[in-house]
Amino acid sequence: MHKDKDAALVNDVKNGDRRAMSKLVRHYQRPVFNAAYRILGNMDDAADATQTVFLKVFEHIADYDQNFKFFSWVYRIAVNESLNQVKKRHKQESLDDGQVSPWQGPAEALDTKRICKQVQDALMLLNDEYRTVVVLKHISGCSYQQISEILQLPEKTVKSRLYSARQLMKKTLLSDATSNGGN
Amino acid sequence: MKNQNQNDPAPADKRAQKLVNASIDGEITATEQDELDRLLVSSDSVRNLNAELRAITDILNDLPQVEPPEHLQNSIERQVRLPLPDNAGATNPVFPGRWISAIWLRTGVALAAGVLLTVGVYEMGSEPITARDASSLAGTMVKSGPADQQGVLLDSINLNTANLNGLVELRDKGDLFTLDVHLSSDGLSQVVVNFAGRGLEFDGVTSMQDPTEAVSVKDGSINLASRGEQHYTVRLKRTSEALQVAPLGVDFYANSELIQRSELTVSK
Repeated sequence: MHKDKDAALVNDVKNGDRRAMSKLVRHYQRPVFNAAYRILGNMDDAADATQTVFLKVFEHIADYDQNFKFFSWVYRIAVNESLNQVKKRHKQESLDDGQVSPWQGPAEALDTKRICKQVQDALMLLNDEYRTVVVLKHISGCSYQQISEILQLPEKTVKSRLYSARQLMKKTLLSDATSNGGN
Repeated sequence: MKNQNQNDPAPADKRAQKLVNASIDGEITATEQDELDRLLVSSDSVRNLNAELRAITDILNDLPQVEPPEHLQNSIERQVRLPLPDNAGATNPVFPGRWISAIWLRTGVALAAGVLLTVGVYEMGSEPITARDASSLAGTMVKSGPADQQGVLLDSINLNTANLNGLVELRDKGDLFTLDVHLSSDGLSQVVVNFAGRGLEFDGVTSMQDPTEAVSVKDGSINLASRGEQHYTVRLKRTSEALQVAPLGVDFYANSELIQRSELTVSK
């Protein structure tokens, strides 16, 4: 969505216009949901996170600084909310004998489900910082500059994390391929 | 983080890695691309690095987008509360600042389609009315009594503008004054009734029919936001100490712009 269009809708929302709110939700719910899904690895958690993201966005819309892009602000809230859920889940998992939640997604219904699952599993093995930059780059399609704005990190750090994350994913996927080949 | 940071490149490789990554991410300049092309021709290790990282990024870029659950949009919209417009207060002398609180009467309070939702909202001193107060009043019927009588028509305002049309009638019903508001607007409309210092106090609003409507009462003003065709009644009560009731100020906004500022004479 164009920045000016977002700004106009945000102003309408600030004036209580629910139709503008609806348009913003319609436009951003899918990318936010996808980012949350790839960070969390679970559809239900992603839906919960997405809902919370939008409730926070509109609760704090009066505080939103329009010098920043609206989508950057939304993504920032989305990343933070997703990572909060990851932390909560880790606590829960430690109470559940350390079992890792099964990855459940529509990819399992596809022919390419094995590859998708391996990639998602490899993503989930990355730490939160690496996984977040990978998701923003490859799932959300953000540029270095946009990721830098969303995560409030120098671009240099974004690039460095992306490089390291890809290398780690390469190792994991190669290891998977080797072990599968050996079976 | 520490255990995942084993891929820090040796200084000699850093430049090649930077160029390969920038190329893969589409963030490489023409000069850098030329430099990378030369390295790809001359170095096996750069070619391997380029191939491996491209394979990984291709896989990541090919991950399918997933569709959010169908109910998600509705679920979000049902729960979102929006603020009342800032500029209603800013342009109104009674409200130098913005409206502090708003009540959004939610879809969840509607009892059934076709049933008129009647919500009574009562001012509790100068405190804002909470959502809990509003929901607890949802579905209650209008208090019977003087407000149901036709009363004496004291004054009226006819609105005939491009964005907002309607009629507001002020009636004297003994101890109560009622403002019968009929509005039709394309977008968001607001009526701000100023009764501070007029010898009146707020007694309630009836017949707000839509969950997207909002009522807020503060410091002697009532802000009523609505959309489309609306009919509701504002009830004002004469304060016990009031000897004389001064004219009421009524401001009309369409899409947050002040359309008309009017007064209603309270005495006949």
